[in-house]
Amino acid sequence: MIGLRFVLAVLLIAMGIVVFVRVASVGLTPAILPGLILGAAIVALGVHRMSLIIRAWRSVR
Amino acid sequence: MERKKPELRRSVTPWGSFSWGYSDVGADIFVGLGLVLGAAAGASNVAFLFAGIVYVCIGLAYTELAATYPVAGGGQYFVLRGLGDIFGFIAGWAVLLDFTIDISLFTWTCVDYLSQLAPGLSSSVHPWMHFIVCALLIVGLCGLNVIGIRESTAFNGVVSALDICSETAILTLGFLFAFDPHLLVHTMQVSWPSSDMFMKGISLAIVSFVGLESISQAAQETQRPASIIPRTSIALILTILIFALSYSNLALGMHTWHAIPHDAHGHAQMLWQWLGNDDNNGKAVALLAAQIPYFGALAAFYVPVLGAILLLISSNSGVFGSSRIAYAMSSGGLLPSIFQKVHAKFRTPVVSLVTFSAVALLELIFAAIPTLDRGAAQIYAHWFNGEGGLDFLADLYAFGAATSYSFVFIALVALRLFDPLSPRKFKIPFNIPVTVRGERAHFPLVAVVGFVGIFAILLFTLKTHIIGRIAGPSWLLLGIVIYLVYRWQHKLPLFASKKRNWRKEQVDILRNAGELELMDEYLANLKASDARKVATAETPA
Repeated sequence: MIGLRFVLAVLLIAMGIVVFVRVASVGLTPAILPGLILGAAIVALGVHRMSLIIRAWRSVR
Repeated sequence: MERKKPELRRSVTPWGSFSWGYSDVGADIFVGLGLVLGAAAGASNVAFLFAGIVYVCIGLAYTELAATYPVAGGGQYFVLRGLGDIFGFIAGWAVLLDFTIDISLFTWTCVDYLSQLAPGLSSSVHPWMHFIVCALLIVGLCGLNVIGIRESTAFNGVVSALDICSETAILTLGFLFAFDPHLLVHTMQVSWPSSDMFMKGISLAIVSFVGLESISQAAQETQRPASIIPRTSIALILTILIFALSYSNLALGMHTWHAIPHDAHGHAQMLWQWLGNDDNNGKAVALLAAQIPYFGALAAFYVPVLGAILLLISSNSGVFGSSRIAYAMSSGGLLPSIFQKVHAKFRTPVVSLVTFSAVALLELIFAAIPTLDRGAAQIYAHWFNGEGGLDFLADLYAFGAATSYSFVFIALVALRLFDPLSPRKFKIPFNIPVTVRGERAHFPLVAVVGFVGIFAILLFTLKTHIIGRIAGPSWLLLGIVIYLVYRWQHKLPLFASKKRNWRKEQVDILRNAGELELMDEYLANLKASDARKVATAETPA
C-alpha cells in the first residue's frame, strides 16, 4: 500500500512538472501565471505526500 | 456527586479527518465554477488564483488554531478567545449565516446536478418542481438530524475517495487530451472582464473555498489532533486549490469534444460562456466533464450523481454545523439558552436544528421567488439588477465567509501575542519575533496578507453584490440586537466579556484531546512564566 502511495506521489510531481512546462511553453505573458501556480501546487502536494510517506517508512524501520 | 460533562468520542482517523473536510469543501467547486465563469469570464482562473491564495492563508490559520485549540466551536471559538465575547458572537453569527446558506445553496445545486439526468428538475424549465424538491430535501435533512441520523465518517470517506478519483481522472484526461495553453491565453486576452465583473468573480470564487470550519469540527473528534490536523489540512488545502485552479484553466483553454450549442440569440459561444450562463451555472462541473474526449461519455452519467451526493452531504453538514455552532454559542452565553434545548427522546438540539433549517428554507424562498412569480421577477430586476436565485445565495455565502474569516485572522494575531504560552505544534511560517508583556511571541505575517486579501473580498462583495450588501449587514445587525437584548436581560456585560479561566480550559482541552505531552509543556510554560513574573516583581527598581 505504501509503495502504491509512493508511486502516486511521484506521478503527482511528474504531472505538476508537465502542467508547468506546457503552460510555460506559451511564452512570457502574465496570462500564464495561474497555470504556473497550478503546476507548482501539484508539485507541492506530491512533495508533501512523499515527505509523509518517507516519514512513515522511517518509523516502520 | 458532580456529573462529568459528556465529550465527543475521538475516533476519527487521519483519512477520516481529511475526508470530513473534503466532503465539505470539495463540494464547493461544483457550485463555484459556473458562477465564477459567468462573472469573471476570461479572468476566471485569475479570480480563483486570488481567492485561492487567500484560502491558503485561511487554511493555514485554521490549521494552526485547530491544532492549538482542538475544540469544535471553530472560528467562533477562536475569535471569542482572541477578541472577546461580542466579536466571538459576530464571527459565530456570520458562520451561522454561512451554514444556513450552505443548506439552501447546496440543496439548490444538488437538484441542478440531478436535473442533468432528470430534466424535469431543471429550475429554468420547471421552477416549481425544482423549488419543491429543494424544500423537501431541506425538511428531510432537518428531520434526519432531529432523529439523530448523520452520514457516517466511513460514508464520507467512500464518497470523498470516489470524488477525488473522478476529479483526478477528469482533470488529468482533460489536460492530456483537450487542453491547449495557447487557447487559454487567447481566451484570457479576448474575454477579459470589466473591473466590476472581475471583483464580482473574485468574491464568488471564495465560495469555492468555504467550509474550513470542518477542520476544527474534525479536530474535536480526531485522535492526537495537534499531530494529525496539520498533516491532513495541508493535503486538503492543496487538493482543493489544485482542483479549483485546474477546472478554471481547463474551462478557459479546452477544446470541446462536442460542439457548444448556440445561445438564445443564435450566436456561437465559447465553453466558459456556455458553462457560466443562468441555465448551466448550477451544474458546470458535470457539463465540463462531459466535454472530455471519450471519457466524457461515461462522465456525463456518473458526475451529476456523484456531484449531487457530495452536495447533499455538504448541505447536511450545514444543518448539523449550524445547530452545533448555535448550541456552542448558547452554552458560552452568546445566544439564548433555548438553543441548548435537546429533544427528550432523540437527545439532539431540536430547537437549533428547526430554527436554522427554517432560516435556510426562508433563504430558499427568497432565492426561488424570481423564477416562480413574474411580479417578483420584475421587482428583482428593478431593485437587484435582475440577480437570480443562485446569485442571491452565493452573495450571502461570500459575505458570511469574508466576515468570519476576517475576524479569524485578527484573532490569530491576538492569540499569538496574548497567548504565547499555549504550545503550537504547527505554526504558520514567516513570523516576526516580538516581546509582549514580558513573553516572547511571534507576529504572523501570513495573517496580515490573509486579512488584507479577505477584507478586499469583503469589500468586493459589498461593492458588487446588490443583494449581499443589503441582506448580509442586515443579518449581522439582527444578530447584534438579539445578542444585546439577551445580555441585557441576563445582566451580562454588553460589550465586555464574561470572566473565563482560559488557563484551566486549555489544560482541559489538551487533556481531553489526549495531547498529554503538550499539556505538560503548557503547564511547564505557565510555571516558568509565573516564576519570571515573581522574579521581576521582586527585583528592586
